[in-house]
Amino acid sequence: MKITVNDIEKEIEPSSIEEFLTDTDAPLKGSALAINGVIISRGQWSKYQLQENDSLSLFQVIAGG
Amino acid sequence: MNKDPLIIADQTFSSRLFTGTGKYNDQQTMLASLQASKSQLVTMALKRVDMQTQQDDILAPLIKNKIKLLPNTSGARNAKEAIFAAQLAREALQTNWLKLEIHPDPKYLLPDPVETLKAAEALVKEGFIVLPYMHADPVLAKKLADVGCAAVMPLGAPIGSNKGIQTADFLAIIIEQATIPVIVDAGIGAPSHAALAMEMGADAVLINTAMAVAGNPIAMSRAFAKAVQAGREAYLAGLGHQSQQAISSSPLTAFLDPII
Repeated sequence: MKITVNDIEKEIEPSSIEEFLTDTDAPLKGSALAINGVIISRGQWSKYQLQENDSLSLFQVIAGG
Repeated sequence: MNKDPLIIADQTFSSRLFTGTGKYNDQQTMLASLQASKSQLVTMALKRVDMQTQQDDILAPLIKNKIKLLPNTSGARNAKEAIFAAQLAREALQTNWLKLEIHPDPKYLLPDPVETLKAAEALVKEGFIVLPYMHADPVLAKKLADVGCAAVMPLGAPIGSNKGIQTADFLAIIIEQATIPVIVDAGIGAPSHAALAMEMGADAVLINTAMAVAGNPIAMSRAFAKAVQAGREAYLAGLGHQSQQAISSSPLTAFLDPII
């Protein structure tokens, strides 16, 4: 199925958020995720099954003032 | 034991020098500078992950050194974006502490007072410990305290400008009226600027650019730590009054008159 991650299209097998992020080597430390504009708390990542056309926005902590 | 601790919300700090983590040439220098500064609270930003490149793990060494992390909302142009950024930051760092900053204009990065107040009020209600970046506006400082902010962070000069305390008269009013800690943020470019803010009675200062872009960031961080300490001690000691006329420090009795 097709999803987008930070505006990049990806073809993936059905999976949970956690499975998907682990498979893609996405940074998990200090990161936060929104799907279709709704923030999904980390505790839900293993339960939430990605859906066709989901739009994921993945954010990470970086250096800043 | 520190006899002069700074308390913000539920946290006690023995250092009154807060620091940012941006603009360093490399992570090793950044970490060594933070250590030299003895800072106990450091700011961080949030960005969308670039899925093509690997990011350095910036968090692990900071957590290991027991430094408290203060995520900011940099990049937010209005209250709605700042609230979303705050919620993301809370998820990412598992902290409800937040440096609220809303600056829609990229040239001067001056904080939007209307949107900042609106966001601060909403975020306090959501349980955030809000430290808003603001102009040195005494009226706004009072309003931000009234809606429940844990501290205010008025600017000395535009972010990254290194121009020092250009807002001194207004900072003095904010400090005089403050019911919450005042952290002078932005524009401090030299240890003498930090010392001045502390001598004026600021509770803390936040430094990033001046340390990160210094010829030797680690040595500069050490210098800032000393300046902040000196400024604080001078404030507590009580500065002497200024006078237009000279006031002699030695007796002016005319004891040489009979000889010459």
